[in-house]
Amino acid sequence: METVTLAHGAGGAQTSDLIASIFRSQFDNAYFTADDAAVLPAPSGRIAMTTDGFIVQPRFFPGGDVGRLSICGTVNDLACMGAKPQYLTCSFVIEEGFPLEELRRIVSSMGETAREAGVVIVAGDTKVAGKGQVDGLFITTTGVGELLPGVNLSGKNVKPGDAVIVTGDIGRHGCAILLARDEFGIEADVKSDDAPLWGAVQSVLDCTKEVRAFRDATRGGVGTVLYEIAKESGVGIRIDREKIPVDPAVGGVCGMLGLEPLYLACEGTMVCFAPMSQADGIVRILKNGKYTANAAVIGEVTEGPSGRVAVRTQIGAETLLPPPGGELLPRIC
Amino acid sequence: MENQKALERIKNYSGRPVRIMEVCGTHTHAIFQYGIRQILPDTVHLISGPGCPVCVTETGYIDEAVCLAKKGAVITTFGDLVRVPGTEESLAGARAEGAKVRIVYSPLDALAYAKSHPEERVVFLAVGFETTAPASCLAVKKAKQEGVGNFWLLVANKTMDQAYRTLAGSADAFLYPGHVSAITGMGIYRELVREGISGAVCGFTSGEILTALAVILKRLQEGKPFAENCYPRVVTEEGSPAGRALIRETMEPCDAVWRGIGTIPCSGLRLNSGYRAFDAREAFDLPEMHSRPNPACRCGDVLMGRITPEQCPLFGKVCTPADPVGACMVSSEGTCSAYYKYSIR
Repeated sequence: METVTLAHGAGGAQTSDLIASIFRSQFDNAYFTADDAAVLPAPSGRIAMTTDGFIVQPRFFPGGDVGRLSICGTVNDLACMGAKPQYLTCSFVIEEGFPLEELRRIVSSMGETAREAGVVIVAGDTKVAGKGQVDGLFITTTGVGELLPGVNLSGKNVKPGDAVIVTGDIGRHGCAILLARDEFGIEADVKSDDAPLWGAVQSVLDCTKEVRAFRDATRGGVGTVLYEIAKESGVGIRIDREKIPVDPAVGGVCGMLGLEPLYLACEGTMVCFAPMSQADGIVRILKNGKYTANAAVIGEVTEGPSGRVAVRTQIGAETLLPPPGGELLPRIC
Repeated sequence: MENQKALERIKNYSGRPVRIMEVCGTHTHAIFQYGIRQILPDTVHLISGPGCPVCVTETGYIDEAVCLAKKGAVITTFGDLVRVPGTEESLAGARAEGAKVRIVYSPLDALAYAKSHPEERVVFLAVGFETTAPASCLAVKKAKQEGVGNFWLLVANKTMDQAYRTLAGSADAFLYPGHVSAITGMGIYRELVREGISGAVCGFTSGEILTALAVILKRLQEGKPFAENCYPRVVTEEGSPAGRALIRETMEPCDAVWRGIGTIPCSGLRLNSGYRAFDAREAFDLPEMHSRPNPACRCGDVLMGRITPEQCPLFGKVCTPADPVGACMVSSEGTCSAYYKYSIR
């Protein structure tokens, strides 16, 4: 089996071979460069820029892999700001002895996802770490996007009376990873929701600029996003348990293990806050999207108390959503 | 639909004030999660009883486990027990100092670990009621069959039937646990009826809990002791004879100390003479523990339904889920933890 060696990271002939045989073929585009930096046309307006690291275990899971995740994560962070993702860079830290074939599959998945998301990967870096110094493969992606004109999205903008919308059913990524680790002996057909969401965000913003915030519900899930936004905007939030879309298999696994689906990670689901008058229109648009067919209004923003998230239960009572805390699953995204 | 009908019946209850005790931690958690207390009339009081295996485990048991860990045993356990404070420290504290503590999801995982690590001495912390006891019994039975010589149990399993008799004065009726009843069947409740003790076996959805409560209220008004099965999709009249046979084959009844309640005769289990070689207390020659729970912690009063968690001076101040003092705050099924997590403050 061919594997990555320290020589692949030394900057010599093997490094060039690795770039040519694995990266260039997948990332090929007019800007991808062998020079020290990519030279790019500047967007006309404001840009958004972000970076994220990815170290999921296992690296391949139902519905995705670490390569697809590393593109979607950064693309979605840009999309949350109303920025059309344009350029990405990626940095690899690879453990000595990592199978080349697996690297090829991951990079191929990155290329495919980038093409789907409409971004180009313009520069990259490869480091090889000695055996045991890293756990397999770490990927970091950095992205730049161009803000749509007239859009002002921020977690601080949310106001009492706004609708709380999820763009899809929740908790699938966290659940898929949990099952893929096979620590519980549970079998269920759950696929990660891992997906690039710029298309969905753009379709909403094309229709209405009256959106306060998007936030992707990655680590910590939708529940953590709700607590973050309630704090940042100084508002309360009340959600309706019966309106939260949860895949039956995810619900079943959560029931068995005593997990709250609101705290399971999503990688292709965002929470959107918008004036209630816009909510139905937004959900209608999202329902036509490839990855957002299960979008739903799940609650509303209240006067407060500031920072509190309440749940209207199945029987019409109101409880606190237990605040985030405790041990989250390690290495899920 | 099921919810609405039961809900109406409960809201329209016009009888005398009644106390209903749930004795299952999963029920406690579900009742808080659904907000069921909020919709009850003032005359219906729900009391969270001692139904969480972690919560009723006395401090001395944690001290024994910590002592075993310090003697070099590998402790295998369900996760929640790790953070329960002992007299000096918790298993988590012992682990931070180098003790080997492994979280497992089943006693059979612990046995598998012992078999694949013959150089280590592995102890499984066998706590829990009739639901979890059979799995520990199966593990020890397999260990004996396969001649595994590095696996022991530290047993603190408990059984519920004597506990109902002890708690009978604290409540007018019990919400009987769904999972325990799946093993015991309805027989024990028929016996309790003859002693004047009432209750209904209950499932875990909001509809199942509301239905069981509505049935209890109706039957209490009729004035005669009763045992109803409101969870027939899981609980049968005969329960699980195979599960009970496993317990009988490997264990025998003994007196047991329940945190906050004290000793209840014949409410515990220990390994019987055929399996005593797998008893960690004997194998490691454990000394008697002189344990002292934190005197300010009122878990015991909470378990008996004498106070609500908010009436404990430690609740939410020095005792929180992140830094618990009492077992009821540690366990995800504990009453204090449920109050803390779900109550609108």
